[in-house]
Amino acid sequence: MGRRIGVVSALLVLIFTAFSWRLIHLQVLKHEYFSAIAAEKNDTRKVIPSRRGRILDRNGEELAVNIPVQMVYADGSHINDPSALAGVAAPFLEMPVGELTEKITTKSKYVVIRKGVSEEKAKDMMRALEKANLHGLYLQEGSVRNYPNGEMLCDVLGYVDHTGHGADGIEKTCDAELTGQDGFRMIEHDRKGREIVVYRGQEQLPKNGLDIRLSIDMGLQAIAEREVDAAYKTNHPASATAILADPNTGEILALASRPNYDPNKFNQAKPENMRNRAISDIYEPGSVFKIVVTSAAYNEGIVDDKTRIFCENGRFSYGRKIIKDHHGSGDLSIPEILMKSSNIGAAKISLMMKDQMFYDYVRKYGFGTRTGIPLPGEIPGQVIPPHRWDMLTKTRMAFGQSISVTPIQMVMAMSAIANGGRLLKPKLVLSKGEGSAEVTDTPVAQVVKPGSANYIANALESVVSSQGTAPLARIEGYRVAGKTGTAQKISPHGGYLEGRYIVSFAGFFPVNKPRVMGIVIVDDAKLGETVNYGGSVAGPVFSTIGAKAARYLDMDPEPDASLVKEKQGTSTTAVSAR
Amino acid sequence: MSVNRRRTTNKIEVNFLAGWLVIVFLIGLGGLFFVYLKNQQHAVGNESRLVEAAVQEEEARDDALKAKIDSMTSRGALQRRLDDGYISLQPIRDTAIARVTPPATAEVDGVLRTASRDPESRFGPGVPQRAVNR
Repeated sequence: MGRRIGVVSALLVLIFTAFSWRLIHLQVLKHEYFSAIAAEKNDTRKVIPSRRGRILDRNGEELAVNIPVQMVYADGSHINDPSALAGVAAPFLEMPVGELTEKITTKSKYVVIRKGVSEEKAKDMMRALEKANLHGLYLQEGSVRNYPNGEMLCDVLGYVDHTGHGADGIEKTCDAELTGQDGFRMIEHDRKGREIVVYRGQEQLPKNGLDIRLSIDMGLQAIAEREVDAAYKTNHPASATAILADPNTGEILALASRPNYDPNKFNQAKPENMRNRAISDIYEPGSVFKIVVTSAAYNEGIVDDKTRIFCENGRFSYGRKIIKDHHGSGDLSIPEILMKSSNIGAAKISLMMKDQMFYDYVRKYGFGTRTGIPLPGEIPGQVIPPHRWDMLTKTRMAFGQSISVTPIQMVMAMSAIANGGRLLKPKLVLSKGEGSAEVTDTPVAQVVKPGSANYIANALESVVSSQGTAPLARIEGYRVAGKTGTAQKISPHGGYLEGRYIVSFAGFFPVNKPRVMGIVIVDDAKLGETVNYGGSVAGPVFSTIGAKAARYLDMDPEPDASLVKEKQGTSTTAVSAR
Repeated sequence: MSVNRRRTTNKIEVNFLAGWLVIVFLIGLGGLFFVYLKNQQHAVGNESRLVEAAVQEEEARDDALKAKIDSMTSRGALQRRLDDGYISLQPIRDTAIARVTPPATAEVDGVLRTASRDPESRFGPGVPQRAVNR
């Protein structure tokens, strides 16, 4: 009896020992292995997408926003009947049933079926699948970038590529700030793929991208776009560009050019239309550049109020070449040289300056250097250093030949004349993120003394008088200062193209307290040689933009502007003036 | 004989048994309560998941509608409608504007723009407009 009990007890001990050992083996020794299998089967790292920051204008108007969409993906391990599932889902995904069946016949746990499905369609599909008791297709939140204004401001905004990152414009330069950081949540799901909330694991909330507030004023942008568009349609140029800026801060208020593209359909745009002409096109500025030589010479005391330059009655032989003026003149003062846009006068002033001094001023005005505008693709332009000059280079540079500049460089140089001689860095971004400190403007250099800048600014006022080259650039009720530019286009084979011009007008108003600086550049307008001048093509566009901008900004008209008008006469017959 | 029988009979300790029964009952009750709570937890979790999904759906719909409104009311869209003649702009003359505060210019705050600065309203009707030669 006692032996029998002993045997049974021993057997029981052995059995329970074996069970215990197996339990320890599964729960302790093989813990990580089996946990991993369980986790692989049931645990999922669910991405919580972050929101890309918006781009706003200076008044908070939305320029780039996000539209929520869903990405549909399949978990092959949850799909029992691929053809039935495809039959229900295919119409919502706008895919052939066969193609969808092929895609979802998989054991993979994550197969992307379709991106960019609208919220409405995605939810309808999920309801239909639930009704049919089918599982295996899931949604993942996402968004697509949308530019509500379409083509407007495309050069500044840029676009976002298929990876969700900025590929051009502010979208590219501020990509780090605009892009948020996706969050995640470790979840377990049941047999049907539904999340088991009580087993939620580690969680990290997403960090949304920062909103970028630009210095652009969409009211002014709309004005500039409309007028540039009108000029483009009327004159049929190769391109037309307008930039408005605040000369006191360097803030870019508007930037429009044609041809352009719709960033919502960037993949359909022609590459040449996607170039930001304001920063990546170089051109010979022509007579606008006379502000550099005159202000530099005045600043150095080489010329003064009393200086008169003999302008050779329109033909000046120098270095075995003839420099011509459009209208021959005798002795001219500095303001008269600017008013009549005398090439001979500008060339003679340059000859009064030392080579290095003139070159230094050209560089101090920012030519040959990138302005630092926060847009991709800016080029520095071309300034030939003195050691490579021939006998004519300096005289040509004085009236804007033998030098290549970008429109934005010209804007900043003219702004320096408007603001008392301070060259500013163009500012396009006011703030990054709500509550962030505004980006402050820092002058790059004091190019000329305030007195010199004011002298040239006042001289430039005469350019829009009836005796000047741009009476059509005048703005009713405001004193305007500016300069026309008409430059022959450079031939790719050397020399210049006959009868083809890049014309421009750069100006600012009101002269006493400048608030708006603008440039209009029209490249190769199809008008014929006799009328294709900065004053007759770009000037009127500047005038219309300026008049509308003044009204929009609620600027008080200047009482003495009408006196200037009376003094200048009412003639508008300077169409043929250069 | 009867004495011996009495001696071998085990006595049932009712108090002891009742104590254990109560303990087992309480443990059972606790277990059931645990299961009930666990079920409740799952049910509430599931409910919160559905509410989260519904909120998310509403937010997404709200965002989509906002984007649609932005597209329809953007300057570009309004400009197109203006060009098509679907809407029109009527200039407001200075004489038709009542200022309740001194005019605040955009220079001050960048927002208030109440004044009309068209030449006709400033200088009166009949003043010749500058011809724009383009």
